[in-house]
Amino acid sequence: MRKGQYRFVAGFLLAPLALYLIFVIWPYIQTFGYSLTDWSGESPNFKFVGLDNYTALFHDDVFKQAIWHNVLLLVFIPVLTILISLFFAFMVNVGGRGGAGGVSGVKGSNIYKIIYFFPQVLSLAILAVLFQALYRSDEGGLLNGILIKLGLVDANSPIEWMNNPKLVLWCLMVVIIWHGVGFYLVLFSAAMQSIPREIYEAALLDGAGRSQTFFRVTLPLLWESVQTAWVYLGIVAMDMFVLASTLTPGTGFGGGPDHHGEVIATVLMRNFLYFGKSGYACAMGIVMLVLTMIISVITLRATRRERIEF
Amino acid sequence: MSTPIKDPSVTEGGSVVPGQRGTKKSARPGDSRSEGMTLNVFSHGFLILWAVLIVLPLLWLILSSFKTDAQIGGSALSWPTSWDFDVFSRAWSKGHIGDYFLNTAIVLVFSVPLTMLFGSMAAYVLARYQFPGNRLIYYFFVSGAMFPVFLALIPLFFMMKRLELLNTYQGLIGVYIAYSLPFTVFFMHSFFRTLPTAIHEAAVIDGASHTRVFFQVMMPMAKPGLLSIGIFNVLGQWNQYILPSVLMQPQSSGEPERYMLTQGLIQLQQQQGYATDLPVLFAGVAIAMLPMLVVYLSFQRQIQSGLTAGTLK
Amino acid sequence: MGSTSTRNNGEGLGRRDLIKRSAALGLITVPTMSFLSACASGSDDSGSKDTSKGKVTKDNPFGVAKNGKLEVVVFKGGYGDDYAKAWEALFAKKWGTKTSHLGTQEITGKLQPRFNGGNPPDVIDDSGAQQIKLDVLFKGGQLLDLQAVLDAPSVDDPSKKVSETLIAGSTDPGLQGGKVVSLNYVYTVWGLWYSGKLFKEKGWAEPKTWDDFLDICKKAKAAGIGGLAHQGKFPYYINLLIMDLIAKTGGLDAMKAIDNLDPKAFVGSDAAKKSIEAVYEIVDQGLLMPGTNGLTHTESQTRWNQYKAAFIPSGSWLENEQLKQTPADFDMKFLPVPLLPGSKLPFEAIRAGSGEPFIIPTKASNKAEAQEFMRLMLSKEWSTSFAKEANSLTILKDGVDPSVKLRPGTQSTVEAVKAAGDANSFNFLYPNWYSEMDVAIQNASNELMSKRIQPAEWLKRAQAAVDKAAKDPASKKNHRA
Repeated sequence: MRKGQYRFVAGFLLAPLALYLIFVIWPYIQTFGYSLTDWSGESPNFKFVGLDNYTALFHDDVFKQAIWHNVLLLVFIPVLTILISLFFAFMVNVGGRGGAGGVSGVKGSNIYKIIYFFPQVLSLAILAVLFQALYRSDEGGLLNGILIKLGLVDANSPIEWMNNPKLVLWCLMVVIIWHGVGFYLVLFSAAMQSIPREIYEAALLDGAGRSQTFFRVTLPLLWESVQTAWVYLGIVAMDMFVLASTLTPGTGFGGGPDHHGEVIATVLMRNFLYFGKSGYACAMGIVMLVLTMIISVITLRATRRERIEF
Repeated sequence: MSTPIKDPSVTEGGSVVPGQRGTKKSARPGDSRSEGMTLNVFSHGFLILWAVLIVLPLLWLILSSFKTDAQIGGSALSWPTSWDFDVFSRAWSKGHIGDYFLNTAIVLVFSVPLTMLFGSMAAYVLARYQFPGNRLIYYFFVSGAMFPVFLALIPLFFMMKRLELLNTYQGLIGVYIAYSLPFTVFFMHSFFRTLPTAIHEAAVIDGASHTRVFFQVMMPMAKPGLLSIGIFNVLGQWNQYILPSVLMQPQSSGEPERYMLTQGLIQLQQQQGYATDLPVLFAGVAIAMLPMLVVYLSFQRQIQSGLTAGTLK
Repeated sequence: MGSTSTRNNGEGLGRRDLIKRSAALGLITVPTMSFLSACASGSDDSGSKDTSKGKVTKDNPFGVAKNGKLEVVVFKGGYGDDYAKAWEALFAKKWGTKTSHLGTQEITGKLQPRFNGGNPPDVIDDSGAQQIKLDVLFKGGQLLDLQAVLDAPSVDDPSKKVSETLIAGSTDPGLQGGKVVSLNYVYTVWGLWYSGKLFKEKGWAEPKTWDDFLDICKKAKAAGIGGLAHQGKFPYYINLLIMDLIAKTGGLDAMKAIDNLDPKAFVGSDAAKKSIEAVYEIVDQGLLMPGTNGLTHTESQTRWNQYKAAFIPSGSWLENEQLKQTPADFDMKFLPVPLLPGSKLPFEAIRAGSGEPFIIPTKASNKAEAQEFMRLMLSKEWSTSFAKEANSLTILKDGVDPSVKLRPGTQSTVEAVKAAGDANSFNFLYPNWYSEMDVAIQNASNELMSKRIQPAEWLKRAQAAVDKAAKDPASKKNHRA
């Protein structure tokens, strides 16, 4: 019996582990190898340079700036997306006119859920085209067009969204939030609906208002979903490559204006493909990997809570 | 008119769609419950605002594909002068949208079910069986979710080259499965842990083999979880750009192009650099959005209930 | 199974090399992993296989064999790729060669893996936004020295070498480390562009001095349109204007100072200071087309085609690129960059040179065919064919049959080239040599155009980029006299 069990376990793990080792783990290990060389990316010839690439990273201001941007994105993308989604989830599920029982969703909540979720099925490639047109820096862009029409912006000095060092990161965040809110709305809605109605009714009987109900009852019970959402969004915030490289200005994977729209991924790819410093780029990737792991551990630790059973 | 208590659960979703469109516009007056009333108006206001923020840009983009380049360059709020569908056929042929769509479908038809099968198998044994190295293998899998994909690209390329899997469907399917495993294992692991053990034990006592228990008892029980991870994987793999852009390039000129749809769109965007034709780009995007809209609208109930199931542990 | 056409060979040698290197990196720890490691890195294709060679004769200087193979990849950009298809047909007809063709914008995406894998195509037009940088390829030993092609007898006049039939200096941009490794085939001029129709309508004359230029910008502004448009999302374009102005103000020495990474290329250079201050004046006086700093080249050029700005900087591919967007009576005209007072070069001086680098990889499988293909590109027949299909000039002297009628923009560049002559044509080499420095200066220019930095700061940043490039030991290999 026990022997059969081991054979079964091994049999079930074989295919997934093999695929994973070949296509995922081994390439990453090699990347680490490359990060110790002066490989140019175009040629298979390179020499071992030890930790030179890593020490050079400490003096690379562009890279440090990019890390800082990723950290900002890592804070703001999850916070804003989760807050907005929670707000809407609450509206959809509890925001309706109270009937006899006092708690209900708004009418048409399903229509909202359908519309809100839709951006999630659009690929990043589509988002890139859409937001390039939206953020266009003259009256031909949707945002500028509307603002000019409303008289809020002078047609002679339209807002150059992506060419403004103060705006560029926020503009990128808006894309992610626009894309993600619907998904988390549905996620949180599901969790909210699993909360027994009696808890709400008891809270209302105790005289709690809706906002109190939200903060005292709903939110704590949703904590686990929030934590999951945080991890997903954190992974998104660490990447950002497709959007940053297509939407921000600058030669060789964007990152502008003047590195204000830079994320680790754009710096990495520019060094990798454009400057021919692939070994160096691999070192950046390894640093990124380590950072991601540290942040994940911190996030999971920080958000760990007692699980509320109901 | 008082609203009956209504559980807005998604299971009744389908029938709600057409029937409630009218009530979306505003709350009707005459209800004395003031708090609920204000909240209702308030919530509808915000909800409608966000809905507009989502629908408006998409409609505007579709509208823009009917414009000429000159109009696109002019005011954003101008209206197309003619409704010429020629641009869509141009986008269809120029962007090869149809071919790329089919390519993507071919890959996903295999990669998503296989991801779920392999992911569940690994997650199942890791969740339900004690053996040395269990936790190590689990963390080994899960940590993969954090790796930035492009880091592995070049070594991965050589690997695929050696295995003669470049620009092949089976190669990309394998890679998609491998890169989806971390998250799938993570998700299904926690799902399998929540399933009751009693049925499992009963089946084992009846003399069913481990394999049979998995396929005939556990998998059906895990259906809600499988559904939601399936949705994650469809979305994730459908939108994947970086992997196919490196692995699905013809390696010599005689080879057929097996582009994924995302690659096709980016290519269409890059062509703008050399022969300006923005309407075609917008039309291409509109065409690419359409099947997703149809699929999404037909499966939205399953998608939502899938997510519901997935988060209920 | 989608295998590549070039089969792996030389397995033994490559493997040994690989294992040695992997061991040096400490990558091989488990012996059973060796099958994976063998899959891991592609340095093993020796590439130059034994293709049966034809006889070397005067008409066949590279010994092309009949019924061979040739793979051509061209950048499908402003010139399209029809011209290359026409050439390939001609080549196939002459040699019975089985040619294969790929036209793409994704040169890096499609070819970088193949360079890494050691199975690159035979002839490549390595151009466009996704060009694989030539300095990088050269450093990797991936580029064939093209001297043999240049020394071969010309197709049209076998008594001359190919190099003697080309426009003077046109092979210079292909230099890396003293060798011509890329053939920059298209003769391009860079500068400003305007609409002859708009200027006639408004009664504006072609400006020859910077003051006149600013004056027209001001008049344009008064007429409700922008003075200067540029392609702000890609600061490459505004750098054309800035660098041309520096070269014309300070003469060829100012240009060479930059290419040779002089410690006084920008800071301490009077020409650079005057030039950048002049460009800044456009910004300072609000003469830019609204929003132009954030527009892509497509968006910006289309606006300019709609008479929303008087001038735009670009190269002579502009006309072809904007073919669909240009109104029939637009009358596109080229304008050399106007002069600042006390300039060392005359108004007619232009940045001109060969662009669109064609290369032959050292690891190409069919080198003889590739070299012969390049020799034929430099024949009058093929050059005329290019002018017909791609509407542009080539580096072949008098390389176009006079019967080909040119579009107004192209025609104006022909006149500009004639007016400038060899003496007053110049070209910067640093963008090919130092991509990192180029990008750093571009970023600074973007900041200047957005009025976030002043000319003094721009000079400092440009100089810092130069100094940084000079520190790289690899830069010692490049020098222009």
